[in-house]
Amino acid sequence: MDPMYMAYSLFRRRKFEDCINICTELLEKNPYDQAAWSLKTRALTEQVYVDEIDVDEEGIAEMLMDDNTIAQITRPGTSLKKPGTGQGAPSAGVRPLSQSGRPLSGFVRPGTQSGRPGTMEQAIRTPRTAHTARPVTSASGRFVRLGTASMLSTPDGPFINLARLNFSKYAARPNLAKPLFEYIFHHENDVRNALELAALATEACGFKDWWWKVQLGKCYYRLGLYRDAERQFKSALKQQEMVDTYLYLCKVYVRLDQPLTAIDIYKQGLEKHPGETALLTGIARIYEGLNDMTNAVKFYKQVLHNDNTHVEAIACIANYHFYTDQPEIALRYYRRLLQMGVYNAELFNNLGLCCFYAQQYDMTLSTFERALSLSTDDLLTADIWYNIGQVAVGIGDTSLALQCFRLALVSNNDHPEAYNNLGVLELRKGHLDQARAFFQAAESLAPHMFEPHYNFATLSDQVGDLQSSYNATKKAIEAYPEHCDSKELLEQLKKHFSIL
Amino acid sequence: MLVPIFTLKLNHKINPRMVTLGKYDGKHPNLTAATTAGKVFVHNPHTRMANASGRAIEASVDSDVSLLSINQQVSAVCAGSLDSLGVNDVLMVGTQTNLLAYDVQNNTDVFYKDAPDGVNAIAVGQLGDIETPLAIIGGNCSLQGYDSEGNDLFWTVTGDNVCSLVLCDVTNDGDKELIVGSEDFDIRVFRKDEIISEMTETEAITALCSMANNRFGYALANGTVGVYENNSRYWRIKSKNQAVSIHSFDLNGDGVPELITGWSNGKVDARSDRTGEVIFKDNLSSSVAGIVEGDYRMDGHSELICCSVEGEVRGYLPASQEQKGNLMDTNVEQETIRELSQRKQNLLLELKNYEENAKAGQAERPSGMGELDKAQMGIIPANTQLQTSLTVNPGDANKPPHVELSVSTTNDTIVRSVLIFAEGIFEGESHVVHPSVQNLSNCLKVQVVPPKDVPVDLHIKAFVGGKSSNQYHVFELTRQLPRFSMYLPCPDDTPEPKSSVAFTVNERVQRVLMWINQNFLLNEDITCKGDLNIGFISLRGSGPVFINMQANGQVTIKTDDLDLAGDLIQAIANFLGIEDLQVTADFPMHMEELKNVLHKVDEFHSVRQKLTAEMADHSNLIRSLVVRAEDARLMGDMRNMRRGYMELFDLNRDLINGYKIRCTNHQELLNCLKLVNQTIQKAGQLRVGKFKTQVVSSCREAIKTNNISALFKIIKTGAS
Repeated sequence: MDPMYMAYSLFRRRKFEDCINICTELLEKNPYDQAAWSLKTRALTEQVYVDEIDVDEEGIAEMLMDDNTIAQITRPGTSLKKPGTGQGAPSAGVRPLSQSGRPLSGFVRPGTQSGRPGTMEQAIRTPRTAHTARPVTSASGRFVRLGTASMLSTPDGPFINLARLNFSKYAARPNLAKPLFEYIFHHENDVRNALELAALATEACGFKDWWWKVQLGKCYYRLGLYRDAERQFKSALKQQEMVDTYLYLCKVYVRLDQPLTAIDIYKQGLEKHPGETALLTGIARIYEGLNDMTNAVKFYKQVLHNDNTHVEAIACIANYHFYTDQPEIALRYYRRLLQMGVYNAELFNNLGLCCFYAQQYDMTLSTFERALSLSTDDLLTADIWYNIGQVAVGIGDTSLALQCFRLALVSNNDHPEAYNNLGVLELRKGHLDQARAFFQAAESLAPHMFEPHYNFATLSDQVGDLQSSYNATKKAIEAYPEHCDSKELLEQLKKHFSIL
Repeated sequence: MLVPIFTLKLNHKINPRMVTLGKYDGKHPNLTAATTAGKVFVHNPHTRMANASGRAIEASVDSDVSLLSINQQVSAVCAGSLDSLGVNDVLMVGTQTNLLAYDVQNNTDVFYKDAPDGVNAIAVGQLGDIETPLAIIGGNCSLQGYDSEGNDLFWTVTGDNVCSLVLCDVTNDGDKELIVGSEDFDIRVFRKDEIISEMTETEAITALCSMANNRFGYALANGTVGVYENNSRYWRIKSKNQAVSIHSFDLNGDGVPELITGWSNGKVDARSDRTGEVIFKDNLSSSVAGIVEGDYRMDGHSELICCSVEGEVRGYLPASQEQKGNLMDTNVEQETIRELSQRKQNLLLELKNYEENAKAGQAERPSGMGELDKAQMGIIPANTQLQTSLTVNPGDANKPPHVELSVSTTNDTIVRSVLIFAEGIFEGESHVVHPSVQNLSNCLKVQVVPPKDVPVDLHIKAFVGGKSSNQYHVFELTRQLPRFSMYLPCPDDTPEPKSSVAFTVNERVQRVLMWINQNFLLNEDITCKGDLNIGFISLRGSGPVFINMQANGQVTIKTDDLDLAGDLIQAIANFLGIEDLQVTADFPMHMEELKNVLHKVDEFHSVRQKLTAEMADHSNLIRSLVVRAEDARLMGDMRNMRRGYMELFDLNRDLINGYKIRCTNHQELLNCLKLVNQTIQKAGQLRVGKFKTQVVSSCREAIKTNNISALFKIIKTGAS
């Protein structure tokens, strides 16, 4: 068989390693074989290709040191920086926060765990404790860690020596320039050179090829030059309205913290591509980020209308129903997920909780058992034990609850909710010192949670330590300004102080 | 006495001339100003008022101020509505490289545009018959207007860097014209993209404001403030301080707005628009940064709001009926009496003088000292006349070329000193020649070097008297310096310049000859029969110029100076009353230069892109180094931390060097772009009327499509 044909076939079948080997042989025979060369670059690129749109998380450095957003103080509901300012979502009293202080989402994806840290210490600590995959900067960390070129061994030097490449020669040949660009961008991860090539290529084709403009935009985006990226994407959209380009443009606006503009762009995209789920999901995600659950669910439902197997939409709607006190409906969505073949610990855990709150007690414990048996991760096990503990508290079995929370802590020593609940249980037993220790542990682990603060405040109030009670109440109100009990306690304390 | 109705301390510095007031939610006016470190603040006290219904909240000004980071040096700020309904205002922020239109209410961009020419001034409003309101930005020699979607619907060029812009109906035709003040001391009025009038001032125009009745106010960098009506100056005053901001506002409640001026020493004064008389003044503790008006207390009355650079804000309500016209802290009657008695004093003094003179003239003293007495009293022969003449002096080794103004008397009386007042020629506008006692004679020569080819009125005051007089007679006269005074008829053997312009007029040669006699400073009027052919040489060093006219009306002007050719054509067209004139221009040297410049621009662009990418790459590296070093610090790994920070230091130095290179590159690019714009403007200046507009707009098209050969053709023939 013709080796070139064989290589193409292997490439189509995604057997990149074999494809590369054949291409290498071909190139050894004839170093000027353009077809083999470009196929090899494509195969090398495909090996390490990562979806730029979905898998993209803001790095610690960007999050902390960049100031791309225009407004520092915005009107509620117009910024992603301050979650919880939107309307329509259940309050923090009902809907818990993730470990970094954002309201829980039904689907884990990059960005759902972010929350702007105040200090470097916090920024560096959060990924360590919360086990996120947050890179140091979005231009460096992830791409090295996810196993790109730098980790792949190359027997005799790199395939293409970028320093020796004459970019302007390649830029004039579109059939070679495009694979080469992708190779530099994805495989070599050398954005600067990729940008140079793209700039030359777009010039060579007389600024008429939208594809190059999108690539330029991607380079600028990676370099953090968001305004330049915006310009390129917009100009590309004028030529060709691609869904991808809309998605990229919206990502730029999200980075610039202009969620409403992003929604606007998504909607413009929807006019051209009605019912496109990627765009609809984008809108829903932004609304979710703004904590505007009513709108988010509206768009997730539209997504389902167009694609009824969309896992993210189903999960998010289920999550919304669960936290708005409709566990039966949530249960139906989770069962739908199960029917579709999602079979993991998280799902069974959620099913168990839904069953419990929907009063289907016969199913509750068995699903939790299934969840425990499927769990592969200590963190997850801790969460499941914590939930079983919740169920135990619900049925009034405090000793079981106590055991469950302790088991949760065995799996994950940094589980603030478990500490808090343990504290409450100890408090009920009258072990004030232990309870205080638990609350303090919870407080230090999760300063964004109001419960430990409030519990600690009531405890201190009971024992007469008014000063610490006052301080803790203040913190609780800071974390959750609408919390009624904290406010009452604060009023009471103020009265006390004024009498003194 | 008018007192401020509110005073605020914002605790933020305000950049001068970067203050505006916008209703971003369509209802509440918010004071917006650029402050230090590339930030813009929005002061919104209204949401607090709404919240404060229940119980009192600590009224801290800080909580009302929200900052917007622009991350670049802000150069202009303006708020206005860009949709035709005009409900919500959009905030426009200009920097040296781009323009951002931002919706403050929704935290969204309306549009973001690159502005390679920079943004020196912004005006928002309806221009001419363009349907939607435009955000018009003035940069280096260019004017651009964007609609609410960021499309540029308006583009033209102007003579120099734009300093100030305002939209005002000067011609009283119901449509607004654009008034542009620029660094070449010119105020130009544009009706859409056509210049309808041009006024020359004596300094860069730093501020303009629209007033009632076709008037507009202006302020210059040398401290002059004044008002124009149509194309003529109404009044002007000059101060040693600089006027930072001017605004038109009816402060005394008489229905006619006054010109409010904020000065660099913190003074704010209101002047009557008719006379320039001060009707109100107040002092802020530091330099004024801007003056705006708006209903800031939401009570239905518009206030005048003055801001100082230190963030002090004062609001004034217009005077009520009872204190009408009496805003100063003085008693009008006393003031009038004082003024009248002062005048009486002056008149008495004058009368006394005359009496003395008369006495000396009539009564011959027995002592025989009459003559001396006469001289002392400053009596001069009744037939004394003052003669002035203007001649062109080509200059010599010691003296630069100049126009010589000689002032002489007809007899042996002497000219003690001469005081000349002329705009734009002397520094500070007036010039005094006061020779020492031994050099006194009956003739005095003054060097005049007009920097530009504009007609200037020389107001001359000469002190004439006897040799030993103590008192002198003052002769006052006005002499006009013709437009092209710095030119000499050139010798015959002068080589002809390479470049030329040619056009046809339907006029007799004699008319053009008349124009030449009027506008050039010639010793004797030129006459000629048949074809006209004259040559001049410029004393400013821009070479010879030949004007040639044939009997069939074909005119050729040969000169290497594009500016001069434009000036000559404009002046001839003006004199002959030509409305539209198409011209063929051939400037090989300029075209060569333009070609090089355009080539350079391309180079700078590509270099800039590379530098930008490099810098972004470096800054990414720096960020990751900071995080790593901090991480090491938190874990107590001091050696790694030290290493990280060392690397950081090296990289930082590299970055700063890179920045310097980028800065120079940018500066060069700016200069080149300015040159391109200026060439286009000059090419437009060669044509008159609709052809002028046509040249500018088709040049723009050619530049947009990067069609350089078309650009040259347009400059040459006036059409694409």
